[in-house]
Amino acid sequence: MPIELDDFITEVRGFLDAHATRRTGGAGDVQWGVGEDRITYFSTEAPEVEAKAVAVAKAWQRTRYENGFGWLTGPTDFGGRGLTTVHELVYDSLEAEYDVPDTGVLAVVGLGMIGPTILAHGQEKIKQRYLPAMYGGDVIACQLFSEPAAGSDLASVETKAVREGDEWVLNGQKVWTSVAHHAQLGLALCRTDPDRPKHRGITAFLVDLSLPGVDIRPLRQMSGGADFNEVFLTDVHVPDDHRLGEVNDGWRVALTTLMNERATVGGETGGPAGRAVSLPFLRELLRANGRLDDPATRRELASLYAGQAAAEYMNRQALRKLRAGVQPGPEASVSKLLYAQNLTRAAHFAADVVGPKLIADTGEWGTFSWTELLLSTPALRILGGTEEIMKNILAERVLGLPKEPGIDTKSPFRELRRSARSSA
Amino acid sequence: MSAGDETTVADADSEELLALREAVRDFLAARSDEAAVREVMIGERGYDEKVWSQMAEQLGLQSLVLPEAHGGDDAGFVALSVVLEEMGRALLPAPFFSSVVLAATALVAAGDDEAAGRLLPGIAAGTTLATLAAPGPDGAWHTGEGALAVAASPADGGGLVLDGTAGIVLDGATADEILLVVAAPEGPTLVSVPGDASGLTRTALRTLDPTRRFASLTLAQTPATVIGQPGAAGPVLAQVLDVATAALAAEQVGGARACLETATAYAKDRVQFGRQIGSFQAVKHKLADMLARVQLADAAAREAAAVLDGADPEGDPGVASAVAHIVASEAYMSVAAENIQVHGGIGFTWEHPAHLYFRRAKSSQLLFGGPNAYHERLLARVGI
Ligand SMILES: Cc1cc2nc3c(=O)[nH]c(=O)nc-3n(C[C@H](O)[C@H](O)[C@H](O)COP(=O)(O)OP(=O)(O)OC[C@H]3O[C@@H](n4cnc5c(N)ncnc54)[C@H](O)[C@@H]3O)c2cc1C
Repeated sequence: MPIELDDFITEVRGFLDAHATRRTGGAGDVQWGVGEDRITYFSTEAPEVEAKAVAVAKAWQRTRYENGFGWLTGPTDFGGRGLTTVHELVYDSLEAEYDVPDTGVLAVVGLGMIGPTILAHGQEKIKQRYLPAMYGGDVIACQLFSEPAAGSDLASVETKAVREGDEWVLNGQKVWTSVAHHAQLGLALCRTDPDRPKHRGITAFLVDLSLPGVDIRPLRQMSGGADFNEVFLTDVHVPDDHRLGEVNDGWRVALTTLMNERATVGGETGGPAGRAVSLPFLRELLRANGRLDDPATRRELASLYAGQAAAEYMNRQALRKLRAGVQPGPEASVSKLLYAQNLTRAAHFAADVVGPKLIADTGEWGTFSWTELLLSTPALRILGGTEEIMKNILAERVLGLPKEPGIDTKSPFRELRRSARSSA
Repeated sequence: MSAGDETTVADADSEELLALREAVRDFLAARSDEAAVREVMIGERGYDEKVWSQMAEQLGLQSLVLPEAHGGDDAGFVALSVVLEEMGRALLPAPFFSSVVLAATALVAAGDDEAAGRLLPGIAAGTTLATLAAPGPDGAWHTGEGALAVAASPADGGGLVLDGTAGIVLDGATADEILLVVAAPEGPTLVSVPGDASGLTRTALRTLDPTRRFASLTLAQTPATVIGQPGAAGPVLAQVLDVATAALAAEQVGGARACLETATAYAKDRVQFGRQIGSFQAVKHKLADMLARVQLADAAAREAAAVLDGADPEGDPGVASAVAHIVASEAYMSVAAENIQVHGGIGFTWEHPAHLYFRRAKSSQLLFGGPNAYHERLLARVGI
């Protein structure tokens, strides 16, 4: 029985007051020049520092979970609270008033994308085993989808899974796997029948990353840190009960993950980057650089803010319409598209305002720190489906336009042309 | 090129300059390929001294554009543009822009034979590294607003001493001779300070673009030599900016063209959905847009160089270079970003060169103040 919103708010406040510190001056208040000025999207920390941040993130998720706030919309059978997305929204907006650790390393991929996929396609036993552990902050999950020759064309994955009795033996290479170096679990798409059309010969497996044959190698990003990885799978034995969905029906499983990915990425607002592109922060940026009275800069700020605000309204309305468990539709691609565009635009706007102090670190607060965001923005147009793919989805699935000619979805996978970089 | 009656003006597509382009390209491919650039960019000096002296001795690049009277070859700005395009294309980390473009132009523009005779031969031979800064209120390039950040006052025993901070000086940590535009009682004045001057503290800064270095300089009662007339640096600076922004535009075109070429090659090579990604109209049109931007920037940069060489008696170098600075800055930034986009995930890695161009593009766009400054500068040049 869902708790009344007023009672829920009281409960949340009680929890947050007991476990976190409320920001002074409310969420919109910015003290220019005080505290950290890092404007991070991807981590650029040394591994030890990062490992510490991951431990802190896990601990905060555990605290949320133990107090009934770890998985508000999840079914009670698997450790969820059985509440609505409205409750979740309320919780998020209240938590934003407090200084709490950033839980992105667990939340974006694991809880935002893999969790809902396990819930929709996993066997009972598997849901019991992993969902409480994930939402309880113990298990970080990653998405083992992309491969060197299968990015936008994800249905061309080549990593093989071959059945041996009660197990499957996995061989292949995944790439660009975010957070794999912190993760315990991965959701892998594998080719199980190359003689069927490409979408019909894929099976999805949950892979325990501590199994022999799993080799995770961090890749350095242009922004400096190593948030994504190559993952090599060599004779990895996965029990059949770790299969999600039916054999050769893995594409349907993948779609659940991808729909949630687009909604998750598009719906992101928090973190240092979110705060930095907020109106109060940008206002202080203009003030500090003497541009608060400059008409051209003011107009650009207004236009930037209008775009951001409207995108946020759109996300809220979409969330309000959803009830827990209902899958987001292809419209979520609009959010994903706008999110990348707005953050990119904001980063270049800030660069224009800051000027040459962005290109060399003079030590002045809130200047060179924008480089981190600037150097992260190219990824936002690529990860979770590129800008071009998002536009194809909108044009084809929402507007009903025909597919581009010449894309073969019917021939057996074996016969399709693949990139020269393909390992097969 | 416009139909000027000057016949001595070089054409970038002339046989001679095509040969120069090829020589520079071959040299950089051999001596400063990507692996070499990556090694130098994490090194302390930020450039390879051996490559630098080979550039001077084997190709004579440092002397190319300098006046004959001071050890140069007077080859003109079109020739300089060809060289800079190739350097931009290869992301050459070297003090060429600071020494040969900024400092040498200032020395010539100041019309001070004594100073020119003292410094230009070394710059031309590559044995003297010089730089120029006109630090404004925030330490960056003075863009017309606010006061100069370094002040000159008479020294006890005659001459001048400087006090203040030049916050962001190109190659400021490695330069042997630093030219500065400072506030003197007579007005903005060009002065020079040796790198080891007393009271001068130089701090190398962390930079967005590791192939282009900056330093912060603080001066405390640092003795300086006046170049040209006290109070006469205004017109010198304007002339330097015309040359420097035109030169930068050529370098930007070189980098942008490299991005376009890499992206095009990748679009032909990479297969998704059973097809080369370049066969998708979204990618094809993106590349066509990139081409259009690069061509436009190329036209603007060539025009600016030709006008500086006097190709068009009616051409205004101030306007042409301000146009080139805007168009090339925006083209390079956009093309560098789209190059990453065409590459997908691999374009976002440290190992792929795409980000080095992205960094250089932003660093170049903001070098002389960025969009706020360069738009105003064009309007000022056309008298609006
Ligand atoms: C920071 C980061 C984190 C990531 N994290 C993960 C992760 O955790 N797990 C995971 O599985 N993957 C992850 N990815 C991978 C990401 O999903 C892929 O990079 C993306 O899908 C693009 O694939 P690709 O890199 O192979 O590029 P390609 O698919 O080769 O694309 C190259 C270019 O071609 C264009 N293109 C391709 N097909 C078409 C078409 N049909 N029409 C028009 N244009 C087209 C693309 O838009 C792009 O511009 C991550 C990527 C990044 C950058």
